[in-house]
Amino acid sequence: MPEQYDSEGAVSSAGMGGAMDLAVTEAQTLERTPGGPEGTGPAGKPRSLWSDAWRDLRRNPVFIVSALVILFLVVISLWPSLIASGNPLKCDLAKAQEGSQPGHPFGYDGQGCDVYTRTVYGTRISISVGVLATLGVALLGSALGGLAGYFGGGWDSLMSRITDIFFAIPVVLGGLVLLSVVTSNTIWPVIGFIVLLGWTQVYRIARGSVITAKQNDYVHAARALGASDSRILLRHITPNAVAPVIVVSTIALGTYIALEATLSYLGVGLKPPTVSWGIDISAASPYIRNAPHMLLWPAGALAVTVLAFIMLGDAVRDALDPKLR
Amino acid sequence: MLLEVRDLHVEFRTRDGVAKAVNGVDYGVDAGETLAVLGESGSGKSVTAQAIMGILDIPPGRITGGEVLFQGRDLLKLKEEERRKVRGAEMAMIFQDALSSLNPVLPVGDQLGEMFVVHRGMSRKDARAKAVELMERVRIPAAKERVKDYPHQFSGGMRQRIMIAMALALEPALIIADEPTTALDVTVQAQVMDLLAELQREYNMGLILITHDLGVVADVADRIAVMYAGRIVESAPVHDIYKVPAHPYTKGLLESIPRLDQKGEELYAIKGLPPNLMHIPPGCAFHPRCPMAQDVCRTDEPPLYEVNGEEPARRSACHFWRECMNG
Amino acid sequence: MGRYVVRRLLQMIPVFIGATLLIFLMVNVMGDPIAGLCGERQCDPATAAQLKKEFGLDKPVWQQYLTYMGNVFTGDFGTAFNGQKVTELMSTAFPVTIRLTIVAILFEIVIGITLGVVTGLRRGRPVDTSVLLFTLVVISVPTFVTGLLLQLLLGVEWGWIKPSVSTDATFGELIVPGLVLASVSLAYVTRLTRTSIAENRRSDYVRTAIAKGLPRQRVIVRHLLRNSLISVVTFIGTDIGALMGGAIVTERIFNIHGVGYQLYQGILRQNTQTVVGFVTVLVLVFLVANLLVDLLYAVLDPRIRYA
Repeated sequence: MPEQYDSEGAVSSAGMGGAMDLAVTEAQTLERTPGGPEGTGPAGKPRSLWSDAWRDLRRNPVFIVSALVILFLVVISLWPSLIASGNPLKCDLAKAQEGSQPGHPFGYDGQGCDVYTRTVYGTRISISVGVLATLGVALLGSALGGLAGYFGGGWDSLMSRITDIFFAIPVVLGGLVLLSVVTSNTIWPVIGFIVLLGWTQVYRIARGSVITAKQNDYVHAARALGASDSRILLRHITPNAVAPVIVVSTIALGTYIALEATLSYLGVGLKPPTVSWGIDISAASPYIRNAPHMLLWPAGALAVTVLAFIMLGDAVRDALDPKLR
Repeated sequence: MLLEVRDLHVEFRTRDGVAKAVNGVDYGVDAGETLAVLGESGSGKSVTAQAIMGILDIPPGRITGGEVLFQGRDLLKLKEEERRKVRGAEMAMIFQDALSSLNPVLPVGDQLGEMFVVHRGMSRKDARAKAVELMERVRIPAAKERVKDYPHQFSGGMRQRIMIAMALALEPALIIADEPTTALDVTVQAQVMDLLAELQREYNMGLILITHDLGVVADVADRIAVMYAGRIVESAPVHDIYKVPAHPYTKGLLESIPRLDQKGEELYAIKGLPPNLMHIPPGCAFHPRCPMAQDVCRTDEPPLYEVNGEEPARRSACHFWRECMNG
Repeated sequence: MGRYVVRRLLQMIPVFIGATLLIFLMVNVMGDPIAGLCGERQCDPATAAQLKKEFGLDKPVWQQYLTYMGNVFTGDFGTAFNGQKVTELMSTAFPVTIRLTIVAILFEIVIGITLGVVTGLRRGRPVDTSVLLFTLVVISVPTFVTGLLLQLLLGVEWGWIKPSVSTDATFGELIVPGLVLASVSLAYVTRLTRTSIAENRRSDYVRTAIAKGLPRQRVIVRHLLRNSLISVVTFIGTDIGALMGGAIVTERIFNIHGVGYQLYQGILRQNTQTVVGFVTVLVLVFLVANLLVDLLYAVLDPRIRYA
């Protein structure tokens, strides 16, 4: 591929600076040290990049809203009983499919379980899967990508071929094949699968930014002064590669939550009695005509959660990449 | 006067504030005359040119005042459609970086011919023939074969010739060249500049040459206008300025040219940085960097003084132009 | 160019082998290929052994893979365990999914590019902000939720469409499923076009085009769009493979008997040969689409030279 796409679908090409109005560019350069756009490696000190980004983020309503939503989700995934007193597994078949009533605002699902309680408790699973899978993907992807980008050569070519292989396999399809035979009731197989198929995305980003960072003059200078590989990697290159990896990971976190729900919907992800939005949506879909509330509440919660993470990632990327403004 | 700019003001509204890029520029150019506009980056010389051409990005840019009189009409009062018909046909612009200024995915012949198709309603075939003619006019070898080539297939000098050809296509009355040779190799610079000067004489066009390179100016310009922080600080016939500058900023610029006869001496540099256009210093904008600055410079903005009543007119925006010319 | 194609074709071989081997291993090692054969009960050991021998399942996995691929290249994709030829399943399933993909791609082109151009030219205005927010929502809501909701609204509540698609799966029936399949990519195409247009709008050559006195329409179509769409076209091209492989969810919701449906059935029943066969074809489609996109790229952008 002549160009690569980041998770947002925007082309991450380094060229095409574009002619901004002279006066504006000049006025800006006077005020701030130019922090290079993401992917091309900041030319200035990383600190100015981060503090600039933070200054932008604080003023960005999208960031504030999505960060608050995420904070809320994290809190209720840690302590769901804060806002839901019931037990998600305590069900009463006699009340199956009943609609909203006092004390049970979201009504009951097909098994007569309280939809509100289940929706609240579902947060924990989605957040756990998202966070753990993202951690795994980020660590594996950036470690392999960083090493490939830094050392290059045969290892790099081999790794690139391997990522090509993983890219050629459709994700949902791979999930169906791999997870259809798993009988475990834990969240680990799903996380393992996401890491297995997801690391290539972070790998490409990390590799790319390490390669650009490696070409910076101060890296050449450090090497000329006799710095060791590990020192150069840790002190000079990692700080430059971190920003793009964080951005991609934040957005990916949202998509992983969606992926878990999709796999659970297809019946190969998490399995009951685990409380998961995907399972509940799947269970509700046959009754969509008579009792749409069973589907709408967990689906809404899922959409809001994924949206919050994607919007957060989007805002962070815009803040870190002055070029796209 | 072919073109007269009067008291032009342009500002840019950005998230961080309002940048005052052009603050009351006056200059003019006659048919067959070359006016060199000199200044550092950020002095407003390019923005003025874009305002004349009508290619400012609006927003963030905004013309807040002034007139641009071209052949007697105020361009700023024209409707966009009338303005468009002036662009390219009656006045044309040559940009600094021909590689990025030419469309990378269209053959140069199409880009040249487009002028005739749009403004003259020619057929594509006739336009192609005209394109070849133009390329020959700017001395591009094997023009007939190369008319189908893409911009990246030409050398830097040849690309700039194509830019010149494009500007000349409809024989406009005025050409604005924005740093036309800056991006080129030194050896090619002179050739391109000579070609431009030659064609200007031949067609008796007015030429506004925007540059920060004093070396280029001396050979081709008739008059010089020096800009600083969006204002003209000195304007004079070229030889007068080289002989005795009437503004400390011009003086600084001239002294910072390396000269062969001063080998071994330290090169002069104007101290400090160009002003932030969002916070232009009060009084004379140059005073923080000026070696001659007095209290009055910090408070009173100098008008454009007539220097010695010389003819043709010579002007300086310095309270102490006399001292400057004497010292 | 010719040498580039040859090199790319050679590079495809290891990727093809890797991807199919991976799937082959997953299906064979992880699952029990004869599990579904004796009805609901477990097969008794003797029958199991006989079945394994019959299908060559007693041999080492790599040998099975080689045999299988050898057969594939002679056009024999094997037999599904229900006795139907896998190629037969393909000949009914692929046309359906191809139609679905075509509908999806058309949506991406027509809606995605239009929205992208409109927003890219009006960056920061209300239209832009609302479309941008809408694309974020579309990206965030998983396809299966979008699909179920559209099915509920259009199919059940308003009765505009039939909630499930007939076995004919005509283009008309596939409009809504195609939109669902396209939804996420459509949002990406919008955003990509928008970014690209907004970036190129400030480029020097667009400024030149304006300075030449070209009418706005011509500046946008001939100069701005022509350059901005290069990356969009390549994205849509690479998306073909992804859409065909990702149709499982959409096909399940609308009960479309296409590739995704057959794969889903194959996986649930652990029909090794069905799954591996379909995946092999999908991987091939993906690789060929990518190669074509790269070549198309060279046609669209004369600066790209493949040697």
